[in-house]
Amino acid sequence: MFKVSDATGGYGKTVIIHDVSLNVWEGEIVALLGRNGVGKSTLMKYMTAIIPAKKGKVEIAGRPAPNTTFGRARVGLGYVPQGRFVFPRMSVIENIAVAAATNGKNATMAVEEALEEFPLLRPKATALAGGLSGGQQQVLALARALAADPCILLLDEPTEGVQPSIIDEIAGTLLRINKERGISMLVAEQDLDFCLSIAERAYVMERGTIRLETDRESLRKDKALQQELLGV
Amino acid sequence: MDYFATVLISSLSSASILLIATLGLAVVFGLMGVINLAHGEFIMMGAYSALTATQLGIPFILAIPVAVLVTMVFGALVEIIIIRRLYGRLFDTMLATWGLSLALYQGAVLIFGSVSPGIGMPQINFNVGDYTLAAYPIFMILVAAVMLAGIYALLTRTVYGMKARAAIQVPDMARAIGIDSARTNTLTFAIGCGLAGFAGAILLPIVPATPSMGFAFVIKAFLTVVIAGPVTLAGSALAAIGVGTGASVVASFMTSVAGDLFFFILTVVLLRLYPLGVSAKWRIKL
Repeated sequence: MFKVSDATGGYGKTVIIHDVSLNVWEGEIVALLGRNGVGKSTLMKYMTAIIPAKKGKVEIAGRPAPNTTFGRARVGLGYVPQGRFVFPRMSVIENIAVAAATNGKNATMAVEEALEEFPLLRPKATALAGGLSGGQQQVLALARALAADPCILLLDEPTEGVQPSIIDEIAGTLLRINKERGISMLVAEQDLDFCLSIAERAYVMERGTIRLETDRESLRKDKALQQELLGV
Repeated sequence: MDYFATVLISSLSSASILLIATLGLAVVFGLMGVINLAHGEFIMMGAYSALTATQLGIPFILAIPVAVLVTMVFGALVEIIIIRRLYGRLFDTMLATWGLSLALYQGAVLIFGSVSPGIGMPQINFNVGDYTLAAYPIFMILVAAVMLAGIYALLTRTVYGMKARAAIQVPDMARAIGIDSARTNTLTFAIGCGLAGFAGAILLPIVPATPSMGFAFVIKAFLTVVIAGPVTLAGSALAAIGVGTGASVVASFMTSVAGDLFFFILTVVLLRLYPLGVSAKWRIKL
């Protein structure tokens, strides 16, 4: 469904990720684990073509992905970046509407669906996104990505700087969306509990490469591995 | 009393003229953050395009869209050839657009000579008490209002407008939801240039086309956008009407030098009070 092979890239001349290969099957939620600075965010930017590829391939729904970021978005690659990056001087409604309209969807309907799905955005609907709290912005960034109707969603540290009550809500929403709309997800995280609560399978990164692939049960049991790789 | 009314009306009209000349820059500099020092030359290009069109026998009212089209196309080329490579590089942009400004100015001198005929103002007047005012400059108040409302609607009510603001605010994220940010930015820059061209054309009966006409506009236009701050459109409108009307009132009671002096002093005072622009704390979109 979503496949990355031999991904190598970084910023300028500095190579940060080396020969990373992974895949996400249809309807699956996969975690990408690792400490700070192992290259999770860089890998996500590689996948979205925000940074140029030195080597490697990305496939979306069985086809080679386009070379541009907007091209990949249009074939169904959704992205919720670390730090959210909502459009600050646009209203909550506009943030959602622009994603829907760009992808040929009815903006009014998409906004209504999103406000239905994320009730905490409704009282803020006409407020500027830049004035929302961190948790609200995170939910908005997710709503924006979903409005573009993706088939695979990349989430980069969705729990960072978000209050615990909203973290639970985000976990619940991701599971529900995964089930109802069949959207596959790759979630980069440091919060192990959050990942264990939603993902079936995980890749663990270390120094720019995939150290190992594991499933939920073995990771849950293996305290030594948790300690070593994640420092938890 | 009548005298005061005429002063007020004509001052509002000069403020509107300032606003008309500023709105293109409000898009290019205020919204996109591109310091386009050639903005005045785009106004000049609009004026000459309209002038040339009328000399070819096209009615003035149709010469205006011609001028808009010419400046938009030229603006798109400038964005693709120069500006696109320099986003986020303030000083490089200034240097490049200053060079462009000089080249366009000299180009206009070579093609049109340093003086050119005006096209004459439509001779419609009306009276306020004992005083007679020309209608065309007063009509500019309406033009400025319609222009402002039009740009506001374009940028807030259309899909293009949302894409344009998204692509400017967070370009990478705009791409990540499927917006071709580069192309959208080219179009937005071209629209800003087209607005400058519109200004040059619509003001042609008041401000005759000369190669150096851009200089007269560009400084005050920049100051207006700087006073405006982050809420570009509403801020520019307020700044142009506030500072522009004030300066013009001072000019009519004293001298035009005093008016300019008032303009610059008021700018300094406002920027001391609001270093980030008067709209820094406004919570509205544009």
